[in-house]
Amino acid sequence: MKSKKIFLHILFMVLVLPAFSLAQANSGVGNNGGDAEIDRFFEQEETFDPLESMNRVLFEVNDKLYYWVLKPVNTAYTAVVPQDIRYGLGNFFVNVAAPVRVVNNLLQGKFSDAGIDFERFLINSTLGFAGFGDPAKQAFGLKAKPEDFGQTLGVWGLGEGVYLYLPLLGPLTFRDAIGFVGNSALHPATYVLTDFPEEAAYTGVDKVNLMSLHPGLYEDMKKNSLDPYISIRQAYLEYRRNKVLDKDVKSSVFQEE
Amino acid sequence: MNRRVEKMFLYLKGMKSMKSTVMKDKIIKYTYTMLLLAVSAFGFASSALAIPAPTEEIKPTLNAIISILLDPALKGEENKIERRAKIMAHVNSGFDFREMSQRVIGKEWRELTPEKQDHFQKLFTKLLENAYIGKFESYSGQEIQFLGERIKDDRAIVATQIENNGQFIPIDYVMIKKEVKWMVYDINIEGVSLVRNYMEQFKAILRRDKFDGLVKLLEDKNSTFE
Repeated sequence: MKSKKIFLHILFMVLVLPAFSLAQANSGVGNNGGDAEIDRFFEQEETFDPLESMNRVLFEVNDKLYYWVLKPVNTAYTAVVPQDIRYGLGNFFVNVAAPVRVVNNLLQGKFSDAGIDFERFLINSTLGFAGFGDPAKQAFGLKAKPEDFGQTLGVWGLGEGVYLYLPLLGPLTFRDAIGFVGNSALHPATYVLTDFPEEAAYTGVDKVNLMSLHPGLYEDMKKNSLDPYISIRQAYLEYRRNKVLDKDVKSSVFQEE
Repeated sequence: MNRRVEKMFLYLKGMKSMKSTVMKDKIIKYTYTMLLLAVSAFGFASSALAIPAPTEEIKPTLNAIISILLDPALKGEENKIERRAKIMAHVNSGFDFREMSQRVIGKEWRELTPEKQDHFQKLFTKLLENAYIGKFESYSGQEIQFLGERIKDDRAIVATQIENNGQFIPIDYVMIKKEVKWMVYDINIEGVSLVRNYMEQFKAILRRDKFDGLVKLLEDKNSTFE
């Protein structure tokens, strides 16, 4: 048994190691070696979209909703509410959601990030006028560490599951759908606002406000793509995958340089 | 280094007490060998450094584009054609559209005739120009921060961020080493790859409508920007 193991080790060294060095030497396209982060950067997961035909129908439904409801509402909202107030409201909504970030940072073992978000919540709720300002970032240099339950599930090793495109909610993986439920369980609004119309209004203003701060995102995406459904699917999946891996630029990949 | 060698020679000259000239010769030989080795090692090192680092390659390209965007003489709708031509000249020197085209098409690329490859590259370049040059044009002088670079074999990532309305948008330039310089072949905005996005779209279209169908769709798309 033991000799078999040693034999396997030797076999590995003889066959596999030279293959690595060859692959590295001959083209450079080979992605072996110790630099795992940069390899991960170039990697690509397979997309699992067995419900594509249903999703495409719902995509069309959402598209109509966008042009018939969301866009006119957003245009009116943007015209009526001054930009400063929209930024303030944006800060407010982010601040209220602090428990989601704190708890999910904790669940992922990011204790110092959880502490930062907790501190931010204390500072912004008081000095920041109930969260409308962001003195935590401007005066104290504390930046939010956004983590949600979908990301936590990903960090724990749950796969992203089926891709869904849902009315109003838009792109979502099955993992993020569970995450969505977890997030609302952690969100104060769920407990403060008890009846449905109130909650719907809160979420509605949150989303419309957010959209007014990032105008034209959806329309740009549609204009620049040959197949908007796939373009949005790909962008969403990559964005969420990077969030789970903390692979965005602010992550350790580049900070150590 | 030179002074050290000089000192060594002085020392050797001064070695009157040394009985054997063979030994002296040996030491001189040794010194020369080491010198030769040092010189050749330096030569190797400098030839490896001859290709500028990825960041040094992309920086001047971006700066040149920025100076065009900020040039008052090129501003406005009436200067659009001249401005865009100037921008594209710089983009072409730093961005490898051939590499991008190859990647978005995938395996089928090699089966295409050179004419078809060229035609596709032209159409795809035009689409990217149409889609993203407008984005450049809303630029109003924000500083581009270079956060670092990573090199692995012939590929590299240069990480930057740019401020927009109080938020930092991370933009990574993915580059490939082509003979004498590093060229950009993908841009990742907030970690989302531009080339991969088109690649996924084209994959489905190629399966359904084949290459000619894709070309037709690209031509139609480009005409919507006019």
